[in-house]
Amino acid sequence: MPVVALITEDFWDQGQFVANSLGMPELPRVMLPHPVAGLGEAKIKVIADDVIEGILDSFVNE
Amino acid sequence: MSDLLEAENEEQALEQLHELGCTDGLPVVIPTPERVKQCVLASGMDGDMLLGELGPAMGNATVEKVATAAVMAGCKADYMPLVVAAVKAAASPEFDLSELQATTHCTAPLIIVNGPARETCGPVASGYGALGPGHRANASIGRALRLCLINIGGGRPGISDMAIHGHPGKFTYCLAEAEEQSPFPPLHVSLGYDESDSVVTLLGCEAPHSVLYSDNADDPEDAEKLLYVLSVGLANLATNNAIFASGMALVCLGPKHASVLARSNFTRESIQQRLWELTQFPNAQHIRYAGEFGKAFKDDPDGTYNAFKSPQNILVMVAGGVGLYSMVMPNWGGAGHQNRAVSVKVESDFFCAIPGLSQRGEL
Repeated sequence: MPVVALITEDFWDQGQFVANSLGMPELPRVMLPHPVAGLGEAKIKVIADDVIEGILDSFVNE
Repeated sequence: MSDLLEAENEEQALEQLHELGCTDGLPVVIPTPERVKQCVLASGMDGDMLLGELGPAMGNATVEKVATAAVMAGCKADYMPLVVAAVKAAASPEFDLSELQATTHCTAPLIIVNGPARETCGPVASGYGALGPGHRANASIGRALRLCLINIGGGRPGISDMAIHGHPGKFTYCLAEAEEQSPFPPLHVSLGYDESDSVVTLLGCEAPHSVLYSDNADDPEDAEKLLYVLSVGLANLATNNAIFASGMALVCLGPKHASVLARSNFTRESIQQRLWELTQFPNAQHIRYAGEFGKAFKDDPDGTYNAFKSPQNILVMVAGGVGLYSMVMPNWGGAGHQNRAVSVKVESDFFCAIPGLSQRGEL
């Protein structure tokens, strides 16, 4: 199943660490700003607009 | 075999270990091959024997690597059976170590020791200041597990351990139950083990929260008031247990508080039951204060929910000196097994006394 992980900036290194330890160092990931929790719908939509292209590109490139 | 580092002297070796991120930030005993070999020998097991995998790095916790951590932590060889049992518990799939290491919540594995190994592999303190400094076995056994989580499990702050603040129990977190001061059966007996067994129970939990209750033998509601105060500490709205409505928690009764409850004919089981009842809250409170998590009960605003799935998810033990205080340790409640406690029997039959190193007599 195609997967793209959405990871916030502060957790980027952790994502790489876990991907490495699970033997999937090239797992497609897209970076989000940190934090995203509690931002409210309007700001989340702005972030979504910013990253949607990167997410779709990751699926296509996989 | 583990990789061997080289240094001119112990001072340089210590700096090298700090630079490599192999320490907890404090000085360690340099794990020379001779020292590690002695701890492996003391374990009575083959150095290559695999005790389990430790996440999130999924490193192999061999007896030799665990012995290396034990040396670094300052353990006596006598402590090895307890360190080995703690590592086995941490490696158990039910413990969800990878998630526990990675979470933003402040959680650290607390080692609870029951049975004869409290003395034969210690002494592991259970009385005054058992969770504080001054007790070598408590300090170094808990630290040995932490060094395993760092160097085998790969838990490093800000990279793979994302605890927002952490807590001091991440340096060491270990105590024994004060079985002789407890009016209740030992914790491990209540968990199904024989009294003659030695058992390590591992619970990922927060730092201890103090619970003050000034008891009064003339008050017929003494026990109920104590249980209420304990329940406030155990699952107030600031805890994950109250918000996630999952996980486990530990109530560490001081011997005086334990006697208050025993005087009113409470058993460990009835204490668990009453605390479970007292940690039942209105859904409306959860909906109002739990943010995104509040959606869990939005369809039943007039109902109630329990912070713990069952009374058994509230562990009860006795430890500490005699006074007006108990401790509660809420936990995270996340991951696939909802942050469960895991108990492992201590295998001290293999233990090999090292002349000049072991304090143990007949084994």
